[in-house]
Amino acid sequence: MDPQDQALSAALARLARRPAPDGLKRALAERWLEPRRFGAGRVARGMAAVLAGAALATAVLFGWREHTASQGLFAEAVNDHLRLLYAERPIEIESGGVHQVKPWFAGRVDFAPALGFGGDDEFPLQGGAVALFLDRKAAAFEFKRRLHPITLFVFRAEGLPWPAAGRPLGPTQAAFATQRGFHVVLWRRGDLGYALVSDVDEKELTTLGSKLAAER
Amino acid sequence: MERFRDELRWPRLVLVSRVLVQPAIGATEDVCYRPEPVTRSRPASSSLRAEALAHADALFRLAYHLTGNQADAEDLVQDTYARAFGASSRFEEGSNLRAWLFRILRNVHIDHYRRARSSPLSGSFDDEDEAAAALPQELLRDDQELERLRSVVAEDIEAALLTLSPDARTVVLLELEGLTESELASVLGCAVGTVKSRLQRARQALRLRLKDYAR
Repeated sequence: MDPQDQALSAALARLARRPAPDGLKRALAERWLEPRRFGAGRVARGMAAVLAGAALATAVLFGWREHTASQGLFAEAVNDHLRLLYAERPIEIESGGVHQVKPWFAGRVDFAPALGFGGDDEFPLQGGAVALFLDRKAAAFEFKRRLHPITLFVFRAEGLPWPAAGRPLGPTQAAFATQRGFHVVLWRRGDLGYALVSDVDEKELTTLGSKLAAER
Repeated sequence: MERFRDELRWPRLVLVSRVLVQPAIGATEDVCYRPEPVTRSRPASSSLRAEALAHADALFRLAYHLTGNQADAEDLVQDTYARAFGASSRFEEGSNLRAWLFRILRNVHIDHYRRARSSPLSGSFDDEDEAAAALPQELLRDDQELERLRSVVAEDIEAALLTLSPDARTVVLLELEGLTESELASVLGCAVGTVKSRLQRARQALRLRLKDYAR
């Protein structure tokens, strides 16, 4: 690939990655995921729905502040991912394999980032850098999927408003979100927190997340 | 035997009409077009629907760049899912759902275009092909171009993309979505070799267009 072609790829990567509007997603979900059924148990289901609604309202009243704070973790992950990509030198240690990158963090962060996966042909590990995640230092690992950069932040999870886990991710449970076209996966292992961010397809990001979350 | 079963499934009349009607977009001999076969509809399973809806963002992005506006893009995505779930029996478990959905979206877009000939979409893929081929290669390799490419902003790229033919846009955008060449071939209904050359020509055409937008 000549430099101009590379520059074109970089220019295309600047293209806004518009997510589908919320209204469209709602309409699709209503049409295809929530078929309406009417029958003998309609009244009972209606009452159950009212009760569930009341419970939900209570949960919302008490939980919204915590929810907002935990959603902040997703936004922080996206911001830090972008900050790293925009940095003059996004990668401080070029990868010669995970056994070269991981030890590099010794003395630079106050924990040992445990990874279940060190990169392969599908998701090559490009390198690492020290980053900031909210108020604390993070070990940032840079992977790649074709042209898409993928950042994994590993940091101390203590004291963070962790969101409720949504789906299984390898041997653990993780929280998933999409913000500004970037997919984010958050999970914990022991006292470490992990945030995986990229604009790559969500399924592929989940595949990488499962590998990273695997016990070694 | 498989072919015999397919023939039973596809009414002969439909097959004949599909052969006779050529796509309006990029209507050239080597056009890439593979309509989804008409089948008896069977409801899509809820897991397939959920998995398919997870691709709404990617489908919307392509639809937005094909139609040039949000309202039409939303309609295109809605119609894509309606057609996909109506023909879900044609989807083979374990095959590439994302590529299948992109292929349906492209075909729905071509059908929309046929119905609304007044659409501003114009030009076949070959127009860009010739334009890009006619461009002296030195012009595409100089340092000035490199600087220009580095300075273009997202709006410039969007505007330049809109000047490409729908097929050229599709191939560039789907590569950006991370589709492999074989996935692209499956979406466009082409051989992998054809996809490679089309992708190269589309990127050259885009570089040519970006010369007008760089600041």
